[in-house]
Amino acid sequence: MFDRRLAENFDWGLMGITLLLGSIGLIILYSAVTAGGVSAQQSLYYRQMVWFGAGFFLMTVIFMINYKDLERWAPGIFICCIALLVCVLVFGKVVGGSRRWLVLGPVTIQPSELVKIGTIIMMARFFSRNASRRGFTIRDLIRPAALVLVPFVLIVKQPDLGTALLVVLIAASMTLFVGIERKSLVYIVFAGMGTGLVGWFFLKGYQKQRILTFLNPDRDPLGAGYHIIQSKIAIGSGMLVGKGYLKGTQNTLSFLPEQHTDFILSVLSEEWGFLGSIVVLLLYMFLFIWGLNIAHKSRDSFGTILSVGITAMIFWEAFINIGMVMGLMPVVGVPLPLISYGGSSVVTTLIGIGLLMGVSMRRYIKE
Amino acid sequence: MTKGTKTIKNKELFVGLVFSLIFLVIAGRAVQLHVIQTKWLTAKAESQYNKYLVTCGKRGTIYDANLKELAVSLEVMSIGAFPGRMEDISQNGKKMAKILGLNSKKLTKTLKSGKSFVWVKRKVAPNDVEKIKNLDVKGLEFIPEHNRFYPNMGLAAQVIGFTGTDEKGLEGLEFQYNRELEAASDKFIVTKDALGRRFNSSGSSVTGFSGNDLVLTIDKRIQFIAENALKEASEEFQAVSGTAVVMQPDTGALLAVAHFPEFNPNIFKQYDRNVWRNRAVTDPFEPGSTLKVFLAAAAIESNVCTPNSIFFCENGTYRIGRNKVNDTHPYQWLSLQQIVKFSSNIGAVKVSEITGKKLLYKTLTNFGFGKQTGIDCPGETSGILSNYNTWSSIDTGAISFGQGISVSAVQLLAGVSAIANGGKLVKPYIVKSIISPDGTIVRECGKTKGRQVISPETAEKIKVIMSTVVTDGGTGVNAALSRYTVCGKTGTAQKIDKGGSYSNDQFTASFVGFAPQQHPAVAVLVILDDPKVNHYGGVVAAPAFKQIVHETLNYLNVEPETDSNDETILLAQRIEAKR
Repeated sequence: MFDRRLAENFDWGLMGITLLLGSIGLIILYSAVTAGGVSAQQSLYYRQMVWFGAGFFLMTVIFMINYKDLERWAPGIFICCIALLVCVLVFGKVVGGSRRWLVLGPVTIQPSELVKIGTIIMMARFFSRNASRRGFTIRDLIRPAALVLVPFVLIVKQPDLGTALLVVLIAASMTLFVGIERKSLVYIVFAGMGTGLVGWFFLKGYQKQRILTFLNPDRDPLGAGYHIIQSKIAIGSGMLVGKGYLKGTQNTLSFLPEQHTDFILSVLSEEWGFLGSIVVLLLYMFLFIWGLNIAHKSRDSFGTILSVGITAMIFWEAFINIGMVMGLMPVVGVPLPLISYGGSSVVTTLIGIGLLMGVSMRRYIKE
Repeated sequence: MTKGTKTIKNKELFVGLVFSLIFLVIAGRAVQLHVIQTKWLTAKAESQYNKYLVTCGKRGTIYDANLKELAVSLEVMSIGAFPGRMEDISQNGKKMAKILGLNSKKLTKTLKSGKSFVWVKRKVAPNDVEKIKNLDVKGLEFIPEHNRFYPNMGLAAQVIGFTGTDEKGLEGLEFQYNRELEAASDKFIVTKDALGRRFNSSGSSVTGFSGNDLVLTIDKRIQFIAENALKEASEEFQAVSGTAVVMQPDTGALLAVAHFPEFNPNIFKQYDRNVWRNRAVTDPFEPGSTLKVFLAAAAIESNVCTPNSIFFCENGTYRIGRNKVNDTHPYQWLSLQQIVKFSSNIGAVKVSEITGKKLLYKTLTNFGFGKQTGIDCPGETSGILSNYNTWSSIDTGAISFGQGISVSAVQLLAGVSAIANGGKLVKPYIVKSIISPDGTIVRECGKTKGRQVISPETAEKIKVIMSTVVTDGGTGVNAALSRYTVCGKTGTAQKIDKGGSYSNDQFTASFVGFAPQQHPAVAVLVILDDPKVNHYGGVVAAPAFKQIVHETLNYLNVEPETDSNDETILLAQRIEAKR
């Protein structure tokens, strides 16, 4: 039953960082959705609040559950997630040429987000049970690779290459963390580079386009390069302290594309300037270090690997999104955790944080 | 705890380092964008939402002396479009093209060009603007512009000039006074969003920065009289071109500057550019015998002789070295007065011989020849009057009857006006005043003091001589009026042909003079270039001169001269009957 020590060890620091980032997210989102006075978008702000509420509820539920139980349920959770992905491919709603969303009554969810959690739990279970000192060989890695391949293929089918690669990236980070035998690592790196080259030929036209315009945004300033250029302009014109809340010209005058979802950081950078950007970057940094600290302090390897996986998930999402917004990466549809508008993203991130919290709270409890 | 977990544990630090390093890259990028590239990124941002909209005020109006409009700017609408806001571009493009008479494919292509702003059509007729407005197409912008319009068409076109499509003066007074007339353009910043919707544009009134108005000395009515007479004469005598200038002798105000052939400044591009010039000011010509009045002035002013001094006119042929000077009619002895009256070239040469080239030169320069008058029209010629040091005896002789010297029409008329004005030369001018849009006078022109070039007595004597030109036997008898005494002088100058020598069949026929003799109200010069039917100034130009003087004096209500004797009335009637 409920252990008093759980409450005593409640991770207020993690909660604080989460609440701070979430609040910043809502504040910027308000500016982003009221941009240009389009009232239709304003409802998104309230929807996001509802999503946050739901996210915090699920977070609480998750950290109340002992993560050891989750380890046991991992295959079930993973299969559920896979089932949802299959459902998307069958019943999913097509938006902008991709079948990514499942409509469940009043809410629309993006199962590819939840799959990340499922995969992390599944991988953590595998690695904690099969840890070896000399590191994993290629042969050892066939099973986890197969595990990741299933959601990867299903997400690529949607198609949502960004999220699919993100799942691989998280799994890869976890694998690297638990350790790979040196020879195997060399093989894998070369194999990865080989697949990358071959993969280029399988990319869809718009995906290639994105990478090319990333490399040279001025190739097509009004077309595919528009996102990156506008984002850079918004950030750069924010200067040191920004143009002020709700006063970002590029935001309010609708020059910024998707300013409430993937490019929300441009709004922040424009209105709050370098200071705002750095504060957000520092908060994320705190979050990662906190997550890694939880991993460090965990009593068991499942908790450690799970925490690293969750931290890696938030890290890569943040890195890819910020990198994209700042023109360091091609435009891929990865939201900024806790800040971008998007129910599935918010809920997934909060569930992840719930997992971290669960691990953190149980760090003194002996089995 | 197993050993495996322990090795894992030590890796958290490593992972933390990797994450931190990667984030450092991002932080570095943030510095780069926020701090290093911020200047040009900010400029880029501003260039996106700050659109400079240039609005021009109204160009000043050009009025005649009685504030009748000669050149006005009318507001017209130009239609622009923000295609990003336009719905159903193909359909709307088709509809608009139909109303505006544009190629619908072309317009649709322009609208779909991806630019945030395009012109649909500039300077659209008001009723078409209404029709377009009624279509209620989103994303259209109606921008007021101005169009220069010359309501009197060709009237005084060469004087007024015209503007280009951007309302910049290209010719005439429009050019000369462009700075005064020009409306200030206000470049104000309009904030626009990505779809071109406008935010907080600072409003500005068009009247606030309109150009100044010009009030000319030109009188539309007199201008019309002069143009009419000139046109009739030019057509009757098949002249290539013609110029007629009417001046107020005591002020130098130009009442009319007429040119033939005329052109319509509203559609100036359809005319040969040679007809655009204000030739009365820009084109020098050899004046011929009209210059003899200045020779007489030189001779009398320097007391070399009196109007009644007589000279032997060599029976029509006089040799100066290897050159021969001929008279149209052979004369023996003529007084100075008669030399002018009959326009004897030999007589003129004889007068110049005793006057001397130095005095002649001095008098001519005094009257303003060889120098610009300083009239406020663009491209004024100074004419050509070489220094007397370089004159040979034949040069001096030729100049005495108006060859080997060139003058502009305005220069010549100003000189004659000085005689009419008691020997006082005034600077000719054409802009009377400049008025700001709110009605206050910015500048009053033409108040220059004259310069006494000959004594009033000499001037009076020349006037008398000139009046005899327009009497029985005089070359200018065709200019005689019944109720006013006309003073004048004919000019028939051989033109210089392509080979550089004097032509025997191409002439510049002119007549210059003023009336009434006592208190001259107008001085008029009529020049016809290369008339075919007849080439004598007294035949070709005098009637036009007479018509202009007659109608102008009537229009100005100049009192008939009370002492005009029956003789002149009879003379005028006789000439009238002959014609």
